[in-house]
Formats: sequence, structure tokens, C-alpha cells
Amino acid sequence: MRRSSRRRLSSALLDLLVWLILIAMLVPAFWLVFTSVRNPVEVNAKPPVWIPRELTLEGFKPLFGQATEATGAIPFDRYFLNSIVVALVSTAIAVALGTMAGYVFARYRFRGKNTLFLGIMLSRAVPGIALSLPLFLLFARISQAGPVKLIDTQLGLIIVYVAVNVPFTIWLMDGFFREIPAELSEAAQLDGCTEWQTFTLINLPLALPGLAASAIFAFLAAWNEFQIAGVLTRTVNSKTAPVGLFDFTGQFTIDWRGMAAMATVMMIPAIAFVFVVQRNLVRGLTFGAVK
Amino acid sequence: MSKHRLFAPLVVAGVILAACAAPPAPAPQAPQQPAAEPTQAAPAAPAQPAGDEPKVAGVDRRFDGVTLRAAFIGGGQYEKMYESIKDWEAATGAKVEIVYKGDGFEIDKKLKTDFAAGTGDYDVVWDHTSFFSQYIPFLEPLEKYFTPEELKDFSQAILKSATRDGHLWLIPRHADISVVHYRTDLYNNEQYKAEFKAKYGYDLAPPETWKQFFDHAEFFTGKEPGLFGTNFAGKEEALSGRFYEILVANGGKMLDENFKPAFNSEAGVKTAQFFRELYARKLVPADMTSLLWDGVANNFCQGNIAVHNEWFGWYSYFQDPKNCKVAGKFDLIRQPVGEGGIRSGWAGAHAFSIPASSKNKEAAAALIKFLTSEKIMYEEAKLGFLPVRDSVWARIIADAAKSDNPLDKKRLEIAQTAIANDFFAPPLIAEWIPLTNILTPKLQAIMLGDIDAKQGLDEAAAEVEKMLAEAGYYNK
Amino acid sequence: MLAPSLAIIAFVVVFPLVYSFYLSFTSYTLLKPVANWNNFANYQRLLQDPIFGQAFVNTLLFMFVTVNAAFLLGLFLSQAIARTIRGQSVLRTLLMVPMMFAPVMVGFQFRWFFNDQVGLVNNVLTSLGLLNGSIPWLVDRWLAMFSIGVAMVWMNAPVVAIILLAGTLSISPELYEAADVDGANSWQKFRSITYPLLGPFITIALTILSLDVARGYDIVSIMTGGGPAHRTELLWTYVPRVAIQESKFGLGAAMSFVTVIVTVAFTLYLFRQLLKSRIL
Repeated sequence: MRRSSRRRLSSALLDLLVWLILIAMLVPAFWLVFTSVRNPVEVNAKPPVWIPRELTLEGFKPLFGQATEATGAIPFDRYFLNSIVVALVSTAIAVALGTMAGYVFARYRFRGKNTLFLGIMLSRAVPGIALSLPLFLLFARISQAGPVKLIDTQLGLIIVYVAVNVPFTIWLMDGFFREIPAELSEAAQLDGCTEWQTFTLINLPLALPGLAASAIFAFLAAWNEFQIAGVLTRTVNSKTAPVGLFDFTGQFTIDWRGMAAMATVMMIPAIAFVFVVQRNLVRGLTFGAVK
Repeated sequence: MSKHRLFAPLVVAGVILAACAAPPAPAPQAPQQPAAEPTQAAPAAPAQPAGDEPKVAGVDRRFDGVTLRAAFIGGGQYEKMYESIKDWEAATGAKVEIVYKGDGFEIDKKLKTDFAAGTGDYDVVWDHTSFFSQYIPFLEPLEKYFTPEELKDFSQAILKSATRDGHLWLIPRHADISVVHYRTDLYNNEQYKAEFKAKYGYDLAPPETWKQFFDHAEFFTGKEPGLFGTNFAGKEEALSGRFYEILVANGGKMLDENFKPAFNSEAGVKTAQFFRELYARKLVPADMTSLLWDGVANNFCQGNIAVHNEWFGWYSYFQDPKNCKVAGKFDLIRQPVGEGGIRSGWAGAHAFSIPASSKNKEAAAALIKFLTSEKIMYEEAKLGFLPVRDSVWARIIADAAKSDNPLDKKRLEIAQTAIANDFFAPPLIAEWIPLTNILTPKLQAIMLGDIDAKQGLDEAAAEVEKMLAEAGYYNK
Repeated sequence: MLAPSLAIIAFVVVFPLVYSFYLSFTSYTLLKPVANWNNFANYQRLLQDPIFGQAFVNTLLFMFVTVNAAFLLGLFLSQAIARTIRGQSVLRTLLMVPMMFAPVMVGFQFRWFFNDQVGLVNNVLTSLGLLNGSIPWLVDRWLAMFSIGVAMVWMNAPVVAIILLAGTLSISPELYEAADVDGANSWQKFRSITYPLLGPFITIALTILSLDVARGYDIVSIMTGGGPAHRTELLWTYVPRVAIQESKFGLGAAMSFVTVIVTVAFTLYLFRQLLKSRIL
């Protein structure tokens, strides 16, 4: 009796601790939204102003085509659209390619398979700084030489993001296909399915949670990527939202409120996307590990 | 990041001088844009009595079918000028496409990578007196597009710092220069005056020398809760520039005439020591090493700084009580004298250049003539920017004279004097920014006490010398 | 079916790397974009560069500490959340919020939190009466590394927590019931049941962490940019400083190669573990 009440107490304390940590972890998100509706003068005031005297949506104006004194109108709609197109298209392609490749790794034996698999995974670990400039120089050459323009185009970014996201997809999907009994495929082929049909009709539907998990990661990575986009983009033709955030840094100042407003709006599609596919996330991420 | 963040985009304030000075706007009914009837290029207007119409230029030729690609500085008050481009388009039949906008530091990175990769298909680009030396191999000399007559009205000190190897590389748009800002409520406080006199043995008055500046910083620190004596932008090019400015005042040099580093001289050590002492004695905020222009200005704006060195461009921001606690409570004074008996004002000008790769150089030159014409510059000066034409100076000083606030006029007079006398730009070498990349971290280390001043400067000098040697400066 | 993936990786990753590998043996600069072969001059130079050495050590230390800290925090959160019955799904959803932040924004946000004069952290400490004056978070070497580390851990711990939570929930409750019968306490249960069974999940979590660790560039470059006085210089901040700001691209390429090797080796180490658990 005494022991269990002590246990209950310690368990309540633990719960409290967890909630406290989680709330602490939410502070940056809360503060972001809070900043976006505050008077910017108060944000940098010293001594601090804890309770805002007024809340305003003024900071959101430049996002919707209205110039303010602080910032000219930001072509946010274009940035946003670029981000959506680039993130969605690159995610779709990366998931498609990665799934096919993952299937090959899971189902077939061939020489050098492990080395190749490892090599692909390690390509994902190459840091963006090592890549962005040489990539820019190469893309510039290609754009000058031929009809395909890769600098300041959505296409250029899509290609890069596909390459960045394919390895992780391969890894996840390989784990997934591995868990699907090979007997299923064999039975299907006996029934007259082609190899392609076996892949699309038998294996793919079973691997959907894995697709969802890969898609979340690919989407978030593309949606939030800054470094390479910062080098490859120029104008509203291709500039994505994270690069656009820097429109709020002026020569001397940062329009902190406008930036917070834009970051807040930027999170909405990410939240929506994650919300739609999240139920599959955990299962998708961990399926391969469950024996 | 640098002085190219010159003009305080008064950003938030926006209200600007115009609000206080409220100059009778040039009569709107006057012949505005000569859309249909191209006028002659303005025969460089000598300073004119205000009242005449400011002249436009660059609209005397048609460029039908030409499309110019431009990379301009963006944000806040900088953008206003670009609205006038449609008038130029109407007059010349050309089109202007602004393909890239960013702050100066971003444009610098873009231009460098674009020039290297050959992707810089621009016709007109933002440029700056501190930056253009890097781009020279990729720029078009401008003297063949501008007659001496056309250039006569521009500030000669600025044109000089835009010239290298006998060629003119950029046409200035507006300028900025450092000036000391101080809090009048503190300096005029009788009690403080008495205390100061007792402690230092001379009268408390706006600083005439850097020595006095230091005493004031020391005196005011902690006088009121949260009050620091001064602060400086403490990182990147900004810190090296501030160091340079006082180094020159102390009689020192950054590089000697053979491009050998000379900043580790006695004057250099003294200057570095000045920063070290300010920091070690906590006369500046501890995070000064992470402050750039916005952080420094915000500290002053919030009333946490007694006296500091600042750009003119912030003026209307500071004067707006909506933004700043110091509104109406500060004054300006020309840069103090250093031990070398020199007043030095770090200065720079935003400008325009034409890349050598442009296929429409004539049209590009015409656009630049238009954008730097008396009329457009006057419009921009009304936003608070310091103009670079004598004729425009005359106009805005006449306008400011009508203001209720005497400081509106005084600041312009100080600025004009400073630009004429104290103006100095960093050395016109392509390696200026790389040089600051070496020097700034050493200065930070000196301030933070990681390294002794002499040793730090010696190390930086050795590295700079090595860099310049590799760049071929000492071969001849 | 493998070819398209390989082709695009070759095009975007391998090809540029080979190109920059070539440039790392030349005197290529952005202002003089000519690739003159200069043997190992760049590599010699970086070996002699004390700042590069410091950045190198900082980077290793930083990756080691932040990956471990994010892992431990994630592990703790996952275990604590797994025990709670009420509100578990709410907790899990809240946990995902940091994952949606763009790293650039994380940098801006935390830079402001740790601002000396007006930042949230000092303001809170001052208001609570715990602090008189201010703490220069982003100036002192260790405090600055700590501040950046906090931002990194904040961004990365949730992924770990979510994966480990799933792992923990997949463990059969009967195992715990049996342990209860034997009179095991919570720690013993964690040690002998949960932790071993979480093995594969832990590997996955660590792998994801290590793949993403270089995203820290966005954060560091905005929070301190490697300064002051190179105190927080990491390879990620030093390479662009050399390659773009000083426009010494050849040297920067050499440095970035070392960076690639370090990061890849780090990932490889974790990956080995994963490969071991795969049936090949």
C-alpha cells in the first residue's frame, strides 16, 4: 500500500516533468507566432515588455501583397508556390525512384550490392556546403551550354532534392519490402503476373506506410532546405520560402515580425502534410526493425 | 556585415526627414517625365537655387526593344527609387527587369559567384565603393559613357574613391558617413556635468577627441540602470572598418604605399587597445562582438547607450518616438580627432556599375544617368539618404532650413562638411573583404582578451601580407 | 529499376564532388576562375591553418555531444510518454512541432533567445531575480557552443523520441508482467527488457540523426557565424567563409573534402551497426 502510493507520487512527478519539458520545447513555436502578432518595438525593448499592449496582424500584410513601411511587399505567393511545386514534385519523384530501388535491393542478389547500398546511403551524408558551390558551377555550365536551364529554375531544385531524398527512401523501403514474405511474390508470378505487376500490385500496396513515412521526410527536407536553394535560386522564378525569409533582413535591420509571420505561414503546409500522413509515420519508420 | 548596409533603412520608421522638413514638393504640374518629348541630357547642373525643377537625365535617346537585366539592392527605403524606372521606360522605349534583389552582402556573394560561373547576364548592377575593387575584371569602365560635364555635379571625393587604375567603375547613387551621436539628456544634465568635471578635470561636452570619447564612455557606464557608455558593431567587416576609422584618426594606416600591412604600428596597437579597454572595462555590452549595425542602433534607440559612432542614415528612425526612446534627445557632432590630429569618417557610397558582359551598355548607361540624375536623387534624398550631387545638397539644405527642428538642418551641414573633408573609403583593393576576414576575428580575440593587442595585430598582419603576396601585390 | 536513382545521385552528388575534388588541387578563386594545378598546396595549407584545426576539433566534439544529447533526451521522452496513458497522442503530436521548423528559422529564433541584451533567456532569468546583469550567451566559448547545442538538440530530439516511442509500444506487455511477478523495479525492467529490444530502433534513430547533423549549418551560421574570434567555428561555417567570402574556392574545396570525410566517417560508423542487423 505504502509502496504503491509512493510509486503513484513518483509517477505523477515524472508526468509533470515530461509535460514541463514538452512545454519548454514548444516555447520557440509559441514565441514565433507570438512575435508575428506583436509590435516589433516591444520585441526588442529593454527592459522587456512581457504583456503586449496590442496584438496586430500587420506583420502578415507584406505576405499578401501589401507593402508596409518596414518591408516592401514580399512576393510571398510566388515563393510559396515555388516551395509547394518543388517540394511536392521532388517528393513524388524521390519516393517513386527510391521505392523501385529499394525493391531491387530487397528482392535481388547481385555483386557489390552491399557496397552500393552503403555508397548510396553515404551520399546522403555529404554536407550541403560541400555540394552547393560545385553544383552551382556545374549547373551554370549546363545552363550556358544547352537548352536546359538549371539555375534559377524549379527544375534545378527538383533534381537536387530528388537526389538528396532518394537514399533515405531506398533505405526505408528496402526494410519494408524485406518484411513482405517473398512467397507472396512467388505465388503471384506463378499466377502469371509479370515482375512489374508483382511489384505494383502485390508488394507496393503492402508497403504504403513506408511510402508515407518516406514522403514526410522527403517533403520536410525539401520544404525547409535553405543552403542549396540559397545558391541556386535568384528570382521569383524559383526562390523558395526559406530563402525568401531573408527578404526581411534589410541593409541594417531585421523585420523580425514580418519574418516570424512568414515562418508561421510556412509551417501550415508542413503541418497539414504531416497531419495527413502522420498515422503511417511511426509504422513506416520502424516497420523494418520489427521482427 | 558592412558598411554597405549603409543607409539605415529607417526601415521601420519610414517617416523620414520629409515628414519634419515637409519641403514644398516640387510642383507636381511641372513638366515631369518627358515621356513623349525627350529633353536634352541635363548639362550637369551646377548647384542651383532651390525652386528650379531638378533635372532628369538619360532620357534623350530611344532604346526600343531593349530589355535591361538588373541586380539591385532591395528592401525598405531602397525600393522607392525603382518606382521611377517606369518613367524611364516610357521615355526610352526600353524595358527593365530587376532579376535579383537582396541586401548588399547577398548581392556581393551573388555577383562573385555569378561572375565566376559566367552566369551574370546583368546589364546594370548595384555596386559600392567598398566592394567594386573585387569586380573590376568583370566591369565596364564608365568614363566613355559619361562626359566630364555630366560628372561635374557629383561629389569629387566619392568619384575619386570610385576610380582605380585610371578608370571610373561606378556612378554613385547616395552616400553615408560616420558621425558621433550623443544623448543630450545626459550631456546637459547639470549634476553629471559637475561630477564629470570633478572626476576628469575638464568640462563635459560632446567629444572632440577619441580620448574624450573614451572618458565619456567610462563616465556614463552604469550612471543609469542598463546604461552603457558606447558600443560599436563588433563583427565582420563592420568591426575592421571601425578599427580602421580610428586607426586613421590616430595617424595610422591599414596598408602602406607598397600594399604591405601597416596596421600593426604603434597607432594600430593603440587603437586595438582602445577597443580592448572599452570591452574589458565593460563600457560596452558584453555581446558587442555579435552585434551588427541593427543591434548597435537598437541599443542606442532603446536609450542604453550614451554616445556612439553611427551612420547618418538612421536619423529619422531615431527621431521617431514610436520606435525610439531617444527621439528628440540626441544630437550629432562631427567625428572626433585622433592622436594623429585627424578626423576620419568611414564612408561609402552605394552606386551602379555595368558588367563588361552586358550587351546593352549604351542603354544601361542611360538608365544609370536617369537613376543618378538630379531629380531622382532629390527624391531619394527626401527619404533621408545623403545625396552625392552638389545641386541636390543645396536643395535639401534649403528644405531642411524650413523645419522646426534645427537638428534637421544641422545634420545635413555636418554631413556635407564630413563628406567634403573626412571622407575615406577602405583601400581600393579586391582583397579588402578577405582582409577584414582575417583582421576582424583577431580584433575580437584582442577585445575578448584571448590575445595581446600587439601580438594579435602582428599575426593578422603576417596573414594579410601572405594573402596579398599570393595575390601578386609584391611582384613588381 | 535501380538506374534512375543511381543516375540522379551521380549527377547531383558524385559529379560535383569529383569536380570540387579536382578544384581542390588548383588555385581556383572566384575572382580569378582559372584552374591552375598547384598540387597539394591547398592541403598543405589547411594542415598548417590553426583555425581549421580548431574548427575540425570543434566539429567532432559538437557532433558527438549534440547527437548523444538529442538521443538521450529523445530516449527519456519516449520512455516517459510510453508510460502515460492519458493524453499520449496529444503529447506525440506536440512532439512533432520542432520537426516542421525550417532550420534557418531555428537559428534566428534561438539567436534571439540567447541575445545578451533583449533575449528571452536573460529576460526570464532577470525577471525571476536569478540574474543581475546579463549573461553573454553567444560570446563565451562554452556558453556559445552550449547555446547552439541547445538549438540542435531541440530540433533533433523529437525524431528520436517518436521512433523510440514506437519501438517501446511494440514490446509485448507480457514481458513486463512477467518481470513484475519477479519483483523487478522500473530501472531493471528498462535495463533488461526495453533497452535490448529497442536495439534496432536505436540504430535507426541514430542513423537519421547522423544524416541530419550537417543541417546544423543553417543554425550555426545564423546564431554565431562561427564567431566571435573563431570561438564557435565549425567546418560548416569555416568552409563558406574561405570559399565565398575570401573567394578562395580551391582551398575551400580542399576543406570541404575533409568535411565530407569526417561527416561520412561518422555516418559510416553508425551505419555499420545497422548493416550488421540486416540480413544480407
